[in-house]
Amino acid sequence: MSSPVPLGFSADDVVNSVNLGLVVVDHDLNIRLWNDWMSRHSRIDREQALEQNIIALFGEQLTPGFLRALNNAIGYGLPAILSSAFHRSPLPLFVEQDRSEAPVRMHQSIIMTPLRSDVGLPTCLIQVSDSSTSVKREKMLMSHSDALKREAITDGLTGIYNRRFFDESYALALRDAKRNRSSLSLFMIDIDYFKQYNDHYGHSEGDRTLKLVANILRAQMRRPNDVCARYGGEEFIMLIPGFTEAQAEKFAERLRASVSDLGIPHEKSQSGTHMTISVGVCTMTPDIGNDGTALLDSADDALYRAKKQGRNQVISGV
Amino acid sequence: MKVLSEIELDALTEVFNVGAGRAALSLSEIVGEEVLLSVPSIEILKAAEVTNRVFTLKDDKFATVSQMFTGPFTAEAVLLFNEDYALEIVRDMMGSQMSIDDLAEFEQEAMCELGNIILNACLSAMADMLKISLSSSLPTYSMSSPEEIAARLAEQGRDDNYILILHIDLVLEKHHTEGHLIFLLSSTSLSKLIAHIQQYLNTIL
Repeated sequence: MSSPVPLGFSADDVVNSVNLGLVVVDHDLNIRLWNDWMSRHSRIDREQALEQNIIALFGEQLTPGFLRALNNAIGYGLPAILSSAFHRSPLPLFVEQDRSEAPVRMHQSIIMTPLRSDVGLPTCLIQVSDSSTSVKREKMLMSHSDALKREAITDGLTGIYNRRFFDESYALALRDAKRNRSSLSLFMIDIDYFKQYNDHYGHSEGDRTLKLVANILRAQMRRPNDVCARYGGEEFIMLIPGFTEAQAEKFAERLRASVSDLGIPHEKSQSGTHMTISVGVCTMTPDIGNDGTALLDSADDALYRAKKQGRNQVISGV
Repeated sequence: MKVLSEIELDALTEVFNVGAGRAALSLSEIVGEEVLLSVPSIEILKAAEVTNRVFTLKDDKFATVSQMFTGPFTAEAVLLFNEDYALEIVRDMMGSQMSIDDLAEFEQEAMCELGNIILNACLSAMADMLKISLSSSLPTYSMSSPEEIAARLAEQGRDDNYILILHIDLVLEKHHTEGHLIFLLSSTSLSKLIAHIQQYLNTIL
């Protein structure tokens, strides 16, 4: 080192104490530096490694990705990254504690940085870090976050999606519809005389009915991008991309019939003897400035008219 | 104003397509299937003229990977991919299911490598064909909106700065992605680049 201030400690000690594999290879790919970390994890001593050609030392175990990166660093002076996601284990390095015959290979992240030797020849510093623990942590976080996400977007009572999920999906569906200039249909669904049902049959029976209705509505969906969610108390909402107005109306009618066909007795209903729903539907091809409010309002307005005109029916908004 | 003649622009496009071919080969090695990468067109603009138009407004967010490189000319190279598509590609390559918000560190590292492969391939092709030698910083990764990118360019967009924009097509089994590779360089660096292209043309014509 050409530091003007003496270090007061040995640079070698630093190289050997660092929790990172450090290797330097020269322009002939001969190994010029091999720190203790490398010895421990490769099970190759410094004496064996130094002055050896890295390709000869590891032989066929080196991947094309590793060689390409090394070539970029030595041949072109370009630094390179080998991520653990794409390469897993580019070098035959092992977890230190694993003393078995067939030890587990360590997941690695590698960074290659070009250096200039004293005489100006291209040289390359290879830094190897152990990503086994971070890979494990990522996997754990991922499974936790999947579980949490499921909870956060599901309605506790009915098991279908909740309003929060609908709001997120709606924003995405709106964006896709704008991008593809395709249509989007919104269905607002309300159970007729549900308050009277609850008062007459009791809340646990009311909850059971909500579940039945939610499930029969969900069962009508056919494609992965369709969304069915509980919007509030006895209100549901469905979002379906790609329908024409006529198709959407037909589908709304199918929703209405599916609930009616359940034949759930409802003595206090003023629109029949069993449980029914009212549906407001609207179909639109959103343009650039559309924030989705118009479609929501118009489906809501259609639902309001369906209820006003006697319930158990489908009304289309414009 | 025309900065480069037709033939110079063609030569530069050729250089970058050689780079794209190298990058595709490296990516194929990782994915284990054919990857197609090409540079259909190149534009040169004054930094001050760059607007959102260049990066098609429909994109909400970009995944960017940048490297600073020096040699006979100095430039900042920035690779931009629509974030959703870039993540689809990275996920295809690794089989992960995370959402964009949860973009984990190792996905970022993967994105960095994806950018590094493409940038290095282009720079090495330039080095070989224009017979120059370049050195470069390590890639850095960030997520930016088109406005942030335009602001970042404007910040460096003094009158004499130019921007070389490569439009990139990337096809990986299920996905087709478009991206941009931007080189931000001063007029001095641009003239040196042009001089090297002319030398290259002299050797092949």
